[in-house]
Amino acid sequence: MTSRTVKVGMLARVEGEGAMLVDVRDGNVEDVQLRIFEPPRFFEGFLRGRDYRELPDITARICGICPVAYQLSACLAIEDACGVEVSEEIRLMRRLLYCGEWIESHALHIFFLHAPDFLGFDGAIEMAREHRGVVEAALRIKRAGNELMGVVGGRSVHPINVKVGGFHRMPTGQELRAVRPALIAARDEVLELLPLLAGFEFPEFEQPHLYLALGAENGYPLETGSLVSSDGLQTSVSAFGDHVREQHVEHSNALHAQFDGHRYMVGPLARYSLHSRALSTLATQAALAVGLGEVCRNPFKSILVRAVELVFALDEAVRIIDGWQGTAAAAVPVTMLGGQGHGATEAPRGLLYHRYRFDADGSILDAQIVPPTSQNQPSIEDDLRIFVQDRLDLAHDELTRQCETVIRNYDPCISCATHFLDLRIERR
Amino acid sequence: MKALVVGLGSSHRGDDASGPEVVAEVAALRLPDVEVMVMADPAALLDLPRSVDLLVLVDAMRSGAAPGQVAVLTEGELPPGTAANTHELGLADVIELARALDRVPPRLVIVAIEAAHFDHGMPMSSAVQEAVPAAVRTVVEVLGAAGG
Repeated sequence: MTSRTVKVGMLARVEGEGAMLVDVRDGNVEDVQLRIFEPPRFFEGFLRGRDYRELPDITARICGICPVAYQLSACLAIEDACGVEVSEEIRLMRRLLYCGEWIESHALHIFFLHAPDFLGFDGAIEMAREHRGVVEAALRIKRAGNELMGVVGGRSVHPINVKVGGFHRMPTGQELRAVRPALIAARDEVLELLPLLAGFEFPEFEQPHLYLALGAENGYPLETGSLVSSDGLQTSVSAFGDHVREQHVEHSNALHAQFDGHRYMVGPLARYSLHSRALSTLATQAALAVGLGEVCRNPFKSILVRAVELVFALDEAVRIIDGWQGTAAAAVPVTMLGGQGHGATEAPRGLLYHRYRFDADGSILDAQIVPPTSQNQPSIEDDLRIFVQDRLDLAHDELTRQCETVIRNYDPCISCATHFLDLRIERR
Repeated sequence: MKALVVGLGSSHRGDDASGPEVVAEVAALRLPDVEVMVMADPAALLDLPRSVDLLVLVDAMRSGAAPGQVAVLTEGELPPGTAANTHELGLADVIELARALDRVPPRLVIVAIEAAHFDHGMPMSSAVQEAVPAAVRTVVEVLGAAGG
């Protein structure tokens, strides 16, 4: 019997600490483990007993890359429990803030974390020496996102302007218009970088994962929407728990989620494949320019889908700013009488679900937070299993390198998911 | 010659406040052609103005020396960065990236103050508090030597 193990002890260019192990015996991949050893963070536990109004600011601290996702999913869950619906202007301002987060997060992942895999560099620093113009442009694109977050959110990381029911203060039309030139310039720079991304070599690799995303009732999904899946399900966010079950697996500090007993995928590929027709004209043209069809099933092409979503986020931000009226109040009143609420938004990495139960005095009785990476873990492991099985003839170093790319296709946020990377492929 | 002194750190994390604290005192000296700035995140070094001839970074350090000890380092003496994840791009990584993009001047000196603790919401340790004047003198000496 021949067997081997491919492993990476500490995965690079992902958010947080984890490892990967693939066990191969007699030419068959026997076991794949995405090991998340970043310690558990117990957020759901220590939220118990806290006041509901603290939720947006506490949950924002789960992630430095996607704090807006946590803030807004929390707000939606509270507002659901209180039977409150925010005004159209508040929804649009939330969407604008969310565009800022998508711009920051997607620019970071496309150009600093994922592109080095396709260009053959160990990281962004090595890439900067040979592709200085690309890295310079990426920094400017990311900075446009920072500026937008600063104006709407009060600062570029961990925004402080979000509250239950809306915002502490609405930015003025003048403040919003001041960001417009940076957004337009960034949008043009992304469009110019599309041929570079489209020219990358993508492995022939397609996966039949079930896709889950929010619905496109208010346009391409970010800040609102029902639940929609690629097998035709359409239901409300409150039904999330009827379909999704989380379970603990021994090799990971992140829970693994299943949808009706099956692995599933959230994130850019799911959103795009379910809703490509809801993109703006410019983003649709960008998708055509990089050779994407209406559906994308190759996880390696997630870098192209992220670029299309980056064009969309910049375009959408300009659209919201140009149409801004600024007549509604910054927040709507919220009266808490206890009960249960569900909230979900589209974090850059995929659907982020929150559920809370509140006491009559507004204190939190229990909390459930299901981040995108927990939902994607079984799909990542399945991608690894199938990818490695067909490439056992590759040299060890090359196979290991490509396995890391398989994981980075998902832009996993281990810090968010722990309750979760280092890659080991064992060949015995 | 134009010099920029950057205090790295957060005022709310114990001895991490030493960088901002030292540059506040350097600013009070109103030295000619010297600008000061505070940065909570070293990644902000990528956005530095390009017209600077000398960059002095003041930061808290943990090397195993006695708390409060002040050291003058070159970038080559920093421990190598791991660049493992985007949540904590270390100083060495940021300087390396900034170099690749010509964002930092050729002359770069690091004044490091050995820290005792980085506890959230806590004041600086007395050893580091007492070392601030020495660190300020060291920064002034570095500026003087460079400008001389």
